[in-house]
Amino acid sequence: MLGAAFAAGLPGTPPKLLPPEQAFRFSARALDPATLEARFDVADGYYLYRDKLRFTTEPVGARAVDLPPGKPKHDEFFGDVETYRGVVLIRVPLHNAAAGQTVTLHADSQGCADAGVCYPPNPQQLKIAVPAAGAAPGAYVEAGKKGWFK
Amino acid sequence: MSDPAGVETATRPPIHRRRFIVGATCAAIAAVATGVVLSRRDHVASRDGSTVLGMVLPDLAEHEQALAQWRGKVLVVNFWATWCAPCREEMPHFVAVQTRDAAKGVQFVGIAVDQPDKVREFANEVGVNYPVLIGGFGAIELSRTLGNELSALPFTIVVDRSGSVAHTQLGPLKAAQLDKLLQRLLQAA
Repeated sequence: MLGAAFAAGLPGTPPKLLPPEQAFRFSARALDPATLEARFDVADGYYLYRDKLRFTTEPVGARAVDLPPGKPKHDEFFGDVETYRGVVLIRVPLHNAAAGQTVTLHADSQGCADAGVCYPPNPQQLKIAVPAAGAAPGAYVEAGKKGWFK
Repeated sequence: MSDPAGVETATRPPIHRRRFIVGATCAAIAAVATGVVLSRRDHVASRDGSTVLGMVLPDLAEHEQALAQWRGKVLVVNFWATWCAPCREEMPHFVAVQTRDAAKGVQFVGIAVDQPDKVREFANEVGVNYPVLIGGFGAIELSRTLGNELSALPFTIVVDRSGSVAHTQLGPLKAAQLDKLLQRLLQAA
């Protein structure tokens, strides 16, 4: 009973809320010397905002990233926005990366749970080795648990 | 001290002293055990509002505000952000309740996990009639120490007049739920 938990002053945590690193699992791999593939595995009941996704790479720059279309959502406060659920794949073109080079992919993301909570903007980074031309795509590198705002 | 007798006493005490030491050891173990139990109970209930009331943060005019100034009120401390739709959604009700229950001793305080300019804009838009303090993104860490293990928003802590935490909520506080809680805490006072 909500009332019982309420009276006892217990933390009113909605059931089954995941920590952000499980709600929005971030990984990436190199597809070829000129392209990284960033991937978010968004857990059921959670969503990411399309307009809050940002990608940059270093030391080589990322070209303009074409974000895939999201699912339209009308938000009372933010107007018409697009959200991502499930598996989200984003191609991040690299500018002048050399085979064997290690590129750092920075991703900013922000999402919420349908249960009515939102997680803070989450800057994450992954190090990806650039493959030789003609080589098979690299393995996914996954971001681990980390603190916010590092 | 280089008194050999003293060393002897310390390493091999006479019977009556040994008895004392055993007794003292038992008492110490008992004290430690009790301490463990007490601290665990404190942790589970986490009703101590001193951490919340000990916070000092700048307001929208960049003046430092200590939450301790509202000790004795039924204090609703709401962590929120402009980027959090569920937070924005529940705030107009907080504004209405602040107006309705201020004279009875209810005080809302918002702690924004956000940038000051965005907070100002939204506070004006909604007509927030209670203090909004700027916690920045560091306020998420602050809320973690208060029980917000998932670092999510909105997160609200209600402190009663005696300074004890009466309720902690991750996710929106439904209007009916908030009204019932405040009614109970105001009656108890």
